[in-house]
Amino acid sequence: MLKIKRFSNAILSNITVHLKKDENLILLGSNGAGKSTLAKVACGIIDSDRVELFGEKLEHLGAKKRAEFINYIPPKLEIFDDYISLREYLELSRLYSSLNVDEAISLLNLDALADKPCKTLSSGEQQLTMLASSILHNAKLTIFDEPTANLDPSKTLQVYEMLKSDVIKNRIIITHDLNLAHKLGYKILYMQEGEVEFFDENKKFFEASNLEKLFGSSIKHIDGYFVVNL
Amino acid sequence: MKYLFIILSIILLLTAPFFGQIEINLFNINDPAFMEYKLFWDLRLPRIIVAFFTGALLGLSGLIFQSLFRNPMSTPFTLGVASGATLGSAFAIVFGFVTLVPVFGFFGALLTIAILFSITSKIKGYDTTSLLLVGIALSFFYSAALMILFYLSSQSQSYEIVRFTMGSLDVVGIRDTVPVIVVSILLLFISFKYKKEIKMLLTSYDNAFLKGVEVRKINTILLVSVSVAIGVAVSITGPIGFVGLIIPHILKTIYKKSSDKLLLATFFYSGIFLVGCDLIARNLGTSSDVPIGVITSFLGAPFFIYLIIRREKI
Repeated sequence: MLKIKRFSNAILSNITVHLKKDENLILLGSNGAGKSTLAKVACGIIDSDRVELFGEKLEHLGAKKRAEFINYIPPKLEIFDDYISLREYLELSRLYSSLNVDEAISLLNLDALADKPCKTLSSGEQQLTMLASSILHNAKLTIFDEPTANLDPSKTLQVYEMLKSDVIKNRIIITHDLNLAHKLGYKILYMQEGEVEFFDENKKFFEASNLEKLFGSSIKHIDGYFVVNL
Repeated sequence: MKYLFIILSIILLLTAPFFGQIEINLFNINDPAFMEYKLFWDLRLPRIIVAFFTGALLGLSGLIFQSLFRNPMSTPFTLGVASGATLGSAFAIVFGFVTLVPVFGFFGALLTIAILFSITSKIKGYDTTSLLLVGIALSFFYSAALMILFYLSSQSQSYEIVRFTMGSLDVVGIRDTVPVIVVSILLLFISFKYKKEIKMLLTSYDNAFLKGVEVRKINTILLVSVSVAIGVAVSITGPIGFVGLIIPHILKTIYKKSSDKLLLATFFYSGIFLVGCDLIARNLGTSSDVPIGVITSFLGAPFFIYLIIRREKI
């Protein structure tokens, strides 16, 4: 599904990732490890000749085909125009989904906000807007960059349910939330200073010895949950 | 309110030709025996047409540039295209090609576009910020070159250059209006053709890219179209500043809609604005018309500042 072969730039060094068909992924790593950079390489925002999507070279894909294959949801909604409303934003995002804009709005309980300009939404509301946009875009593979940052507990749960569900096809999720990573159960890629430190099954990642190796004593495992050891 | 504006604008358009140093009687314009016939058809009407379409083009260009550069200050003037046209025209004046002033102006603008794109294609990637910076550098370079031309020119030539840089809507005969009409309508057509892509770019470049917009291609098409249109306009009327900056802003604060929905409104009201400014320029009672650029800035700047202050308050 996704192949990145020995990619290097100023931030990343010698990254090789290979995801098989229908394999989802969790991308973990400390701040500045290069997670978002890797995501941008995978979706073509950063040029490279090392990416293959669904058996085709990314740089040879036409713009439309590329959009059908991959989408990237950044951590923050970036929008220049002051007056584009939530609904208009979602109208622009609807590409390959069988859902229409109103259905996506209701799905995420955004009805009351639909006609507000995106710029006036709170960061949590913007986060949900982007999630709705990813559902409407419905690319074969979607990369979510910290989809649960900025969210209150109830919205976090809402997003978690959505990420788990099959309204989204294949997904790569970048996060700092170990519980989310654990619960979703996908394969894990852990990055450190621009390099792949760990790339294997979920279970192996959460083995005590591995956690100890990666996080030292900063993570505690209590009753099946992972908490920061304050 | 919206309809009132439209009606007032149309009244302004229809009555503007009849006011000036010589008043024109509506009933005499169809009879070649009257002096008013020539005055109306050869001078006043062409002037109103050029004012309207030049204004429309300047306003629309400003809106498109602000959308592409994601910078509320950018207009084709910031990119040096207008300065290029001015320099070309000044060159023609100083070196004795007086009849070819518009041609030189047009090629000055084209040359600027060529320089801009050849430089930016060498810069890795393609970002509008570097294009904007190159444009600003070019503007300074052109100002210096213009100074040299001033230095080389005679007194009457200097006066001619200064007069050109102030902008002028003097045209004679309907035939002179054709180029501006053609390019401004073409620009409107192109902007409508790429309306959806413009809206995508109004979110973010990355988002447009991810949604399958050929960002680079669309950018180039729009930038070149605007630059060519501006080249034509400036070569005929001289650089008329400020329209492209203030009209899109004013409309945004009034309509509160995204820029892609304001293409036609910007086109129309920028045209009306310049016709209005011209009407004032022709009726101040001075012995010759006050340069149009002076009026647009005098009227526009205070009103613009007022709007900014009011917006910041809310």
